[in-house]
Amino acid sequence: MTTPSSSRQLTGSADFILPSGRNTIRVQDVDFGYGSRVVFSGLDLTVPEGQITAILGPSGSGKSTLIELMTGQKKALRGQVEVGGEEVGALSRQALYRLRRRMGVLFQDGALFTDLSVFENVAFPVREHTHLAEALIHHLVFMKLEAVGLRGAHSLYPSELSGGMARRVALARSIVLDPLIMFYDEPLVGLDPIAMGMILRLIVHLNRSLGITSVIVSHDVTEMLEVADWCYLIAEGRVQGAGSPAVIREMESPWVRQFVSGSAEGPVPFHYPSREYTADLFGKVRPA
Amino acid sequence: MRQLGSLVRPILEFCAALGRRLHFLVTSLTLIPSTLARPRQFVEQLFYVGSVSVILIAVGGLFVGLVLALQFYTALSRFGATSSLGGLVALALLRELGPVLTALLFAGRAGTSLASELGLMRATRQIDAMEVMAVDPMRRVVAPRFLAGILAMPLLAAIFSAMGVLGSYLIGIKMMGLDPGVFWSSMRHEVRFHADLVNGMVKSLIFGVACSLISLYEGFHARPTAEGVGQATTRSVVISSMAILALDFLLTSFMY
Repeated sequence: MTTPSSSRQLTGSADFILPSGRNTIRVQDVDFGYGSRVVFSGLDLTVPEGQITAILGPSGSGKSTLIELMTGQKKALRGQVEVGGEEVGALSRQALYRLRRRMGVLFQDGALFTDLSVFENVAFPVREHTHLAEALIHHLVFMKLEAVGLRGAHSLYPSELSGGMARRVALARSIVLDPLIMFYDEPLVGLDPIAMGMILRLIVHLNRSLGITSVIVSHDVTEMLEVADWCYLIAEGRVQGAGSPAVIREMESPWVRQFVSGSAEGPVPFHYPSREYTADLFGKVRPA
Repeated sequence: MRQLGSLVRPILEFCAALGRRLHFLVTSLTLIPSTLARPRQFVEQLFYVGSVSVILIAVGGLFVGLVLALQFYTALSRFGATSSLGGLVALALLRELGPVLTALLFAGRAGTSLASELGLMRATRQIDAMEVMAVDPMRRVVAPRFLAGILAMPLLAAIFSAMGVLGSYLIGIKMMGLDPGVFWSSMRHEVRFHADLVNGMVKSLIFGVACSLISLYEGFHARPTAEGVGQATTRSVVISSMAILALDFLLTSFMY
């Protein structure tokens, strides 16, 4: 298991102590797959409380699936996923919903409700979980929209937003009830540099000011190494490297080196497994 | 043994599919009180479900009434019984054609709309977003639409039958020159409140449950792809139509 101690063994560093508490997430010896395709095999990692943890890895390495396991959207085939000491896979529906009220999730594609305006999208969790007065909901929603720079877009509908704007609205919606644990699924994809910088600052600000436990799944290595307190690199179903950004940068592991440098050469294959290229070009035509 | 397995497997799969739908039905029914506690969502859905279908239902009812009156008038005139036209048309509409055709039109219009809406919500992860926000999509999305579908059906069937009667009035009185008094008194004489009107409404309610359930189930469990949403929408019409016709036979055999 890639606990603090084993991580240090793995990285050869003891520069970081993972804080533990009510919002610590532990993934222990987890197996998961889709049919015959194995996504995780004996995955171990710990997300420390109140820190920004970046889960890095190539496309298809199961980063988003890991968030789904942590939020209870999927169940591990083997092993345990614990959030604050509660085993997510063993919770009843009511208990899972109670746990999720402490969480916020920013989906990769925003997942905004298309029949609701921007204002109503952000107000949605507040209306569902509280009985606040309309004036208070109005203030709360406008404060969150101001934080993501979209106060002026409150009356627009999701179909009128760009991809980046939709992501920012989704972020406002996911933080409107001030969650204790935030999951960000590829928060920077499709954002322009200004929005990217703003979102990163917001993630850091939320974490530092409110002590939110933040899990960011991304393949934007440079940006993640700047904002994260702790990083995991996952590939081939398990953790290939773990440590603080400084440690990750210095790691000798060929997996880590290839991923951090963005090289096509290395243990992470660019091509999906296939037969010889020449066989496909000049051999017998394969049925599609 | 393998042959036995291939024989038994479809039966087991059918039972499992039926069980999943029954579970969906029971869950939707148990969530109706919480839907009534927040009537705004339900009223919005009732308005939406009704408004998308009402023109189609009204026009459909009018034309069915026109055709029925023409057909019945021709047949009745052979026996010199054209005075029974009003009663005969009303009976056909209230007992059978009103509930059944309304349900078929509802399945093709509002049912497909519900299935595709939920399928798209699934494909664009809106249902997942609700789940991780600790909002039960069955309560928030399915139950209000389910109740709206159930209640919209008898109302639409009433509109269908009323428009059908109007159509038969236009043919019988305005075109064929029947006496209006004879036409309406035949209708009043033939139609019984409980046996015809109430049973027709009960049929509509049951069709409403079946149509809404099937459309919502197919949409809610659609594969999250464009093809999956299309298949779910098609399945909702096909299964609803078959269910309506089968239920109509069962209900008619018990009621009349």
